[in-house]
Amino acid sequence: MAEISFPLPDLGEGLIEATVLDWLVSPGDHVERNQPLVELETSKSALELPSPQAGKVIRIHGAPGDTINVGEPLVVFEVPDNTAGIVGTVPKDDVPKRRVRLSAVLDED
Amino acid sequence: MSGRHAEQHIHTVEGTDPHIFVEIHEPAAGTDAGLRPILLLHGFSSSSKLNWGDTGWITALQAAGRRVITVDLPGHGRSASPEDLDSYSPSRIRADLLQIVADAGARPLRDGDPSSGLDIIGYSLGSRLAWEFGATQPELVHRLVLGGPNKEDPLASFDLAAAQHYLADGMPIEDESTAGLLKMAQLLPSNDLFALLSLIEAIKGEPYDPAEAVPHMPMLLVAGDKDERAVTMPELASIASHAGGMVEQLLVPGRNHSNAITSRVFKDAALAFLGV
Repeated sequence: MAEISFPLPDLGEGLIEATVLDWLVSPGDHVERNQPLVELETSKSALELPSPQAGKVIRIHGAPGDTINVGEPLVVFEVPDNTAGIVGTVPKDDVPKRRVRLSAVLDED
Repeated sequence: MSGRHAEQHIHTVEGTDPHIFVEIHEPAAGTDAGLRPILLLHGFSSSSKLNWGDTGWITALQAAGRRVITVDLPGHGRSASPEDLDSYSPSRIRADLLQIVADAGARPLRDGDPSSGLDIIGYSLGSRLAWEFGATQPELVHRLVLGGPNKEDPLASFDLAAAQHYLADGMPIEDESTAGLLKMAQLLPSNDLFALLSLIEAIKGEPYDPAEAVPHMPMLLVAGDKDERAVTMPELASIASHAGGMVEQLLVPGRNHSNAITSRVFKDAALAFLGV
């Protein structure tokens, strides 16, 4: 098994941090890709962050009320060795969803 | 700038099209609950994406087998910013919403048909619109969930002149609520500030009076227990229950007006309340 750390992603809009409102998963939980992980609040809005991948949650960083900077560890997953290498790539059958981003930017039309 | 969309509604009300951005979100594959659609109404200075998409509401409702209709209010999100003030008046918005939900397939309530009618979830200004829509459309609306609701519309006391002075030459705004609302509106670069001020002006012309028209369908009122903009929720509940309606209230621990929206407690309560 391998560990994969998922940092707080780029929030866009010059946002550099987010505050944890509530965790929706606990260490030991197995999560599916896109399953809600955590509720966060930025200076602009509150949002729910979906899991970027399937796996077992080993550690979560930040208790409710704690502030996390972009790029700092948010959650650590345990995944089978043979899948660790592909983490961070985008599966062909699944276009990245806009709502996965933490950006408050609306359509650029 | 108008952000036209393929599913934009095609029928116009009173002869003009305010170019309201509409999306229909079908239930997750294989989960269709066979229940009526749910209309989501976002708050001031928000959008369907910020209020319902990013917060996980749309996916949670879809996963529960519900069909969801989202709209961006005039001057918000991907909707247009009409120049005429009338497009922003609450009564005109309600008329447009009625046309939109009819075009999206919502049908009047029929006894014994759980797919008939319409459920509505609103937040803040969206709750005001939902209250009035429910009161005026009893044949259509089945149940209401009103988040961050208020007996008085904070936008009605907005100091429009002070805001315009501030935007024109930076003169500080004395009224705290006005300054706070304007700051919130300015945080999002996608907001059309002048359209939002038009909306406020139109709202001041049709102030919210919840006792004037009271919805009689069952309703769930939800607010963070630290929500200063929803402290009058119990009074709103008593207006509805005195009129004979079934009213439930829920306080979300530790949450305020900005962050109650993502709460799982709120979502789970809404899903259970509307799952009948």
